[in-house]
Amino acid sequence: MNLYIKLISGSLRSRMQYKMNFLVSSLSYGLIMAVDFVLLAAILQRFDDVKGWNLFEVGLLYGISSVAITLYRVFCVEVHNFERYMVEGEFDSLLIRPVSPLSLLLTKNLDLSRIGGTIQGILILIISIIGLNLENVELFLLLIYLPISILAGVIICFSLGLLTATIAFWTQRIKDFQTFTLYAPFNAANYPMNIYPGWLKIIFFTVIPVGFMNYTPILFLLNKGGSLWNLALPPAVAIVFLFLSLRFWHFGIRHYHSTGS
Amino acid sequence: MRNMQYKVAHLINNAASAIFGFVFIAIWVGVLQGKENESPYSALDMTYYIAAVQCILWLSGFLTAGLNIQNGVRNGAISLELVRPTNFFLYVTSQEAGRLLYNFFFRSIPIGLVFALTVGFYVPQHVPSYLFLCISIFLAIIISINLHYLVGISACWTTEIDWAHFVNFTLLIGLGGQLVPIDLLPAPLSFITPYLPFAGAIYYPVMIFLEKVSSEVLFIQLFWAVLLTLMNLWLTEKARHKLEIQGG
Repeated sequence: MNLYIKLISGSLRSRMQYKMNFLVSSLSYGLIMAVDFVLLAAILQRFDDVKGWNLFEVGLLYGISSVAITLYRVFCVEVHNFERYMVEGEFDSLLIRPVSPLSLLLTKNLDLSRIGGTIQGILILIISIIGLNLENVELFLLLIYLPISILAGVIICFSLGLLTATIAFWTQRIKDFQTFTLYAPFNAANYPMNIYPGWLKIIFFTVIPVGFMNYTPILFLLNKGGSLWNLALPPAVAIVFLFLSLRFWHFGIRHYHSTGS
Repeated sequence: MRNMQYKVAHLINNAASAIFGFVFIAIWVGVLQGKENESPYSALDMTYYIAAVQCILWLSGFLTAGLNIQNGVRNGAISLELVRPTNFFLYVTSQEAGRLLYNFFFRSIPIGLVFALTVGFYVPQHVPSYLFLCISIFLAIIISINLHYLVGISACWTTEIDWAHFVNFTLLIGLGGQLVPIDLLPAPLSFITPYLPFAGAIYYPVMIFLEKVSSEVLFIQLFWAVLLTLMNLWLTEKARHKLEIQGG
């Protein structure tokens, strides 16, 4: 842990060298997500709801999903950009270090420009919670549970990111896969799962389990159905998925053949 | 084997693009269910709309960031490229046009087929629509290539274009009507957006395809295509002069 903090603070200092660049890129990344949400708000203002979910309810789903994926993009930038290690043959240099390759990847770099997106997501959450005007007990439960939901989301996102990165051991390139395994599912998780056709729902509750991070618990917390189990599922699924992705990652490393040079 | 990897990656990307489309269609069907009388678009209209948008995005939405001009600025190759006897603007834009031609055959058409086989795909009913559609798509491509060129050439002054690309892309997607047809946007936006270049890149070609606007919108597209091209030619000249002053 000490080592992690040291490595992270080093990478933080190097990033802050370019303050202006950092500020502008954070702002523009936040802007993208803001425009995205404003468009959704425009639809829901006009048509009231999407299959029984109003703007603030969708806002909760949206906020959790956005915060989760942007936190992953901040902290796991090297896992996300793992393709580079395969294409440029840099992975060998990680293997000869005394620390595990994954720890090195996780501590090597931070993409602070993505923080803009996280702040944006948190703002949407705050606006939605105020807009929902919940009773005390419900509000209390929601506020307690939100961090758990977000953490489960980050872990699910990281697991998906790691699974995709592992594919690079065989395919070298993973950018195209990420659209399929990360961008599209997290975009879908911005909205309630009940709007999707059956086959899409099956995907989002099995192989790419983004439905669990926000839809399942919010369904229960907003009295839209389900039982207490809905609250236990997100952390459980996150842990199982993390375990599976770590296993796959180690399997990938064992099958890694350096191109040598 | 390497070729095979690219093919698989390509297929996966097309599938992801189709999934994005299914997600957006699902949102609209969910939103419009039981409320179709309040909307100028039916659920089926929106299905066709989103399907067409997903296809056109590969021609005028997902272009190379800054058309890679910024790389030349960073490694200095731009100085050679700019003094070549060929026109730099034409050289860069025709390279991108080649990539878009590839996208048309290997991304737009397969994605369109996926929608045609699953949720349905609109086919223009009137013969002139096909001619207007070709012109509109052509103008949309010119507008978008120019917007991306503008971002790229700005690297001559700023060296960093990431944020400019982000902003350009967001406006293109957001105000171009990728998720929400721009006539459904709230009041101040719905007045302005029809006259912005972003609508010319996505919204108008799609609406012409769906036969929901008159062909007069081609003039708005033409206006932006010409204006942006002239502006970029002028900026390229400026960039060349800047280079000469720096010397080297």
